[in-house]
Parts: sequence; structure tokens; C-alpha cells
Amino acid sequence: MEPPETRAADEADEADEAGEAVEVGERVPVDGPPGEPELPDSQEISDLQLTSVSLTSRIVIALTVAAVIVGAAFHLGMVFLSIAPSNTLSQQYSTTINDYVYPEFEQNWKLFAPNPLQENDDVQARAEVLMPDGTSTTTGWVDLTALDQAQIVHNPFPSHTQQNELRRAWSFYTDSHDSQGHPVGLRGTLAQEYVLRIVAHRFGPHLNGGTVQRIQVRSADTPVGSPPWSGDSNGTSTATSYQPQPWWNVSSEDFT
Amino acid sequence: MTDQNTSTSTSGYGAASGSAPVPSPFAGLPRKVDAAIGKGLARITGGPVAPYQSAVIRIGFSLTWLAFLLREWVHRDELYGPDSPWSWSMARALIATNHAFTVLMWSDSRAWFEFVYAAAIAASVMLLVGWRTRTASLLFMIGVLALQNRSVFEGDGGDNVIHIMAIYLVFARCGQVWSLDARRARRSADRDRDRDWDRDRDRDPVGIVMWVVFAAVLALVTVLGKLSTGWALILWGFLAAQAAWWLVRRYAPGEPRTVMTMVGNVVHAGAMLVIVVEVCLIYSTAGWYKITGSRWEDGTALYYPLHLADFTPWPALSHALGSSGLIVMLITYGTVAVQVAFPFTLFNRRVKNVLLVMMMCEHAGIAVVLGLPFFSLAMITADSVFLPTSFLRWVGDRVVRALPGRRAVVPRQRSEGEPSASTLPV
Repeated sequence: MEPPETRAADEADEADEAGEAVEVGERVPVDGPPGEPELPDSQEISDLQLTSVSLTSRIVIALTVAAVIVGAAFHLGMVFLSIAPSNTLSQQYSTTINDYVYPEFEQNWKLFAPNPLQENDDVQARAEVLMPDGTSTTTGWVDLTALDQAQIVHNPFPSHTQQNELRRAWSFYTDSHDSQGHPVGLRGTLAQEYVLRIVAHRFGPHLNGGTVQRIQVRSADTPVGSPPWSGDSNGTSTATSYQPQPWWNVSSEDFT
Repeated sequence: MTDQNTSTSTSGYGAASGSAPVPSPFAGLPRKVDAAIGKGLARITGGPVAPYQSAVIRIGFSLTWLAFLLREWVHRDELYGPDSPWSWSMARALIATNHAFTVLMWSDSRAWFEFVYAAAIAASVMLLVGWRTRTASLLFMIGVLALQNRSVFEGDGGDNVIHIMAIYLVFARCGQVWSLDARRARRSADRDRDRDWDRDRDRDPVGIVMWVVFAAVLALVTVLGKLSTGWALILWGFLAAQAAWWLVRRYAPGEPRTVMTMVGNVVHAGAMLVIVVEVCLIYSTAGWYKITGSRWEDGTALYYPLHLADFTPWPALSHALGSSGLIVMLITYGTVAVQVAFPFTLFNRRVKNVLLVMMMCEHAGIAVVLGLPFFSLAMITADSVFLPTSFLRWVGDRVVRALPGRRAVVPRQRSEGEPSASTLPV
């Protein structure tokens, strides 16, 4: 068997072989007895001839080839239809496609497309705490996203907990809630619980000397604004807008 | 076309009619097609295609996932464990709707979680060094799916690539080179040359023990009803294939073994085809969606990620990059052009290699500038499936020569007391 691309061997290939011959001299090649050219292992292990096997065997192999071709074509067709823009075919067979692709072959390559995100959406939260004397106070807003970003700055290996957790939880939340802020279906309920639990985990059950009773979350959206060197920098506002969500009661399980 | 032109060309043909007719470009086409198919069949059955490319992606993806798991060791509980804000019961509620496969749903205990996380690390190491690569690739996939499906909202594009490729690698004979399996196969081949074939040596006790343990575990979880029908079929099928391979190697080293190897090679070729097309799909859809974006059209798209706080670990560097309209526009347009063009450049070796270098450099830049090292490493690995064999062999040779203790293995290869050769397909 020829390794791929050796047929298209170019100067680089020849130069490589020549260089090897010079340097190999003093070193004993590990593969094969000395003096024998170093072959790719696949050539040693199996250089099988189709013509050497019986007709039955050839039929078995032919059936395998056919099955693999059909399987690969079906798989790639399904994946293609699931990631291509919605089209006549993918609309017609949406059930088949979704049944096949979800959950294990689900994919999304639209990061920064069609347009990159053009604003910094910070998730902020505050709590209503019950003080030991029986009064309730409300804490100030805590910018949880900014706390994550403080961990990202000058860190060559940011953690998923800092870079993805809040960001994706919040987009999961906004995607699964209608414009009035009501959860849509199971995903909406789960998303709300998820955001609440992230905040609860980061606040802990005790804050400012009291016990956390309720939590409110909002997003603070600040547009990046057009680049200063692009012509239309005057037209875009970079003022922060806030999307406060309702107060949510916290139970002790939310902290665990 | 005017009448005049038509008449000219007609007379042109008339002039040629006296001599021999122009040979048809389709002459002998059926024979050529036959020959091409025959050649292709011989190639995909005769041995595993692209052994170096499949090995480099095996190493790349397992290394990426291993590095990620080690980096997140301190955060493992928050990401996937019992104390995650995405609680076990929430994960179960979501998985009840999408039927994702994760062994972490088998129990909500901390001990089970710690075991699975450690096993995922072990499977990554196993696949990285290519020790019992077929088993390793399956365990690697189980580990990846277990953790990622447990907490889907913690992942990004890099996790997505690893998720898909982990499944494909199960079907690829990715341990043919640069693996402990390959070294073991080489040593046993040396022994065969030196003296008569000693069949008893080929029993592979380690392989038998592993097989029995996995069969027992699989039987237990099947009886407990933890597996869906589909996954039960896949896992039992895999176990059956391992047993069949052992039996064939030991008792039918002739034609049955040849046929089984060929079947494995064909499946491997299919897996490599799917991997290659998948990488093309990633680039072409990423480019396709960008073309329709107004910011990619006006050449400012890159400016925005450089000002998103989640993706600017080095703000001074990002802002310096974003301050030049020319650089931003060149990289913005270049990204779209390269992503859209890449699949078509595969037809030209030289152009493909140039684009490959550009894409790897861009991903290396993304790793640093946008703070996405694991995503970038996964994408560079995916790109490397297109690297030329000559280059991969050259790099592999350099690396092996740089490794310490290379000489030390030489005298050992023909010693009598060597552990027996693998009976598992590599």
C-alpha cells in the first residue's frame, strides 16, 4: 500500500529521504534489521492483496465497502443539512435530520457569525438578606461577569467556569424566555434555575452579615461601539442599558 | 455567435475531414474508471489509509482533552460534579428530552463522578500513547461524552470539535504509527523473523483480562437497564468485534484474518473520509455564515471580539491590534476568504499547504489573543489531518530522535522474555 500523497512526492519528499540517509548512518533504526529501509509501519503490518482472497471473501469486502460508502454519505448528508442554512430539503426532512444529528452530532460553527457579538453583556446580581435583628436589606449590585473577567485577564489558560459558564447560561436564559421575561417550556424553567444557582453558588448563603432570602439578576449591556477609525463612530451609542429580571426566592438546595 | 462564425467553423471541420478524426476525449473512459476503482479498492483494503494523519489527530485530540481535564482539575466539581450549578437532576431533566449519552447519569454520587473524571484522564493518556488504541479510543469517547453531555452549557466550539472527533476516532485505526501498539507489533514481527512462530505467545493475557472486565461491566449495566438500545448495540458490537479479532488471530491466521483486517481498513478509510469532510464543513459553514454578516462585509468584524472582555486576556495587545483599520480589515477579509476557499484548495497540494499554514497560524493567534487555547489546539489538530505525509514523517523522526532513551529500547527488542504480542487490532 502506498501511503497517501507519496505519489505526489515533490522535492520536499526527496530532500527528506536524502537528509535521512545522511543522518541515519550512526544511528541504528529501531524498525527492522539494519540496512533495511525504514518503512511506514502500515506497510510492514499489512500489505494485503484483494486478489489473494476467495470470491466469498471478496463479496464480504465488497458489501463492507458499500455499507461504509452509504453510511458515510448518509452521515455527512445529515450533518450538512443540519448546519447549512435552512433550505427546502432540510425543511422537508427536519424530523429525520434532527433525530439523527441530536444530541451527539450537534454542531454549531457560527461563533462570530453572521456578525460578531457587538456588546459586552455583564450579568449582575443583588440579594435581599435577612439580618439577625429581623430586618431585611438589599445588597448592592455585584458584577459577576466582571469578577470572571478579572480572572481571565493575563491568564493564558482561562477556565470554562470563567469564560463560558455565565456567558452561556445567560444566553440560554435569554433564548428560552419570551420578550416579557416568561420562561418558555422546560428549557426556560431550567435556564432560570441554572442562572439562580450560579448566582447562589457565588454569593453563598450568607452575605453582608445576613442570610440570603431572594436574588435579583439583571444584565448590563454595553455596546462596543463602531471602531474610531470607521466613519460612523458618531452614530453609535455606547451607553449601558439594563435588563432587570424579577426577584427570585432562594432555597437552601440552591447553594449546594 | 453570428452566422459568419458558424460557417467558418463548419468549413474548419470540413478541412479536417480528410485526415484522421479527432480522438474522442472519452475513449477508453470506462476502462480508466474501472482501473481507478480497482486502484482505490486496493488502496483502502490493502492497509489503513493515511496512517500518519490519523495518528496525528489521535495525538492532537487526546492531548487537547487531557490538557483541558488537567487544567480544569480544580474546577472539575463546579463544571461536571455533584456541586455544579447545573445540578445532576437538571442535567437528567434535559437529557430525558434529548437522550444524550453520559455515564455520569448512572449515579449522582461523588465517588462515581471522581472515578469517571479520573478514568477520562486515564483514557486520554491511553489514547495519546496509543496503548491498546481500539479500546482507548472507545474509552476516550465515553469519557468525552460523559463529561460534556453532563454539562452542555459549559462547552464552547473546542469542546464541540472534540465531541464529534472522539466519536469518529473510534472507527479509525489511528494507532498504526507513533503508538505503543505499533512498537509492540514491530517487536513481535521481529521475533517472527528470528524464529518459528510460537502461537502460545500470542495469547495476550492482558487483552483477555481487559476484555473480561469490560464484558462484565457491560453485562452489569445492561442488566441494570442503564443503556439505551442503540448504545447497548454499539458497545456489545465493539466487544464482539474484539473477541472475533482475537479468535481470528489465534485460530485462523490465514484468509479469515486477512478479510477481517481488510474490513477494518475499509471502515478506517470511511472514518477518515468523514473526518476530512467534517473539517471542510466546519470551515465552509463558518465562512458561509460570515459572508452574510454586515460587519464581515464592511471589514470591521475583528474589531468587536478584540473589545469583548470575555475574549481579551491581554487587553493592551487586543486594543493595539484593533487600533489599525488596515490590519483589522485585512484579517477580517482574510478569515472569510480562507474559510470559504479552503475546501476547494484541497485539489491543489501547494495551495492547500499554504492555506493550511495560514489557518494554523490564525488559530495559534486566536489561542493567545482571544484566550481560547483549547479551542485553538483542537482546530489546529483538525487542520493537521491535511498535512502531507512527508512533513509528518519528518516531524515524527525529529521528535523520536530528540526523545531520551531511544537507544535503550534497541537491545530489548529481541529478548526472549518479552511480553506477548497484542491480539487486539491496533
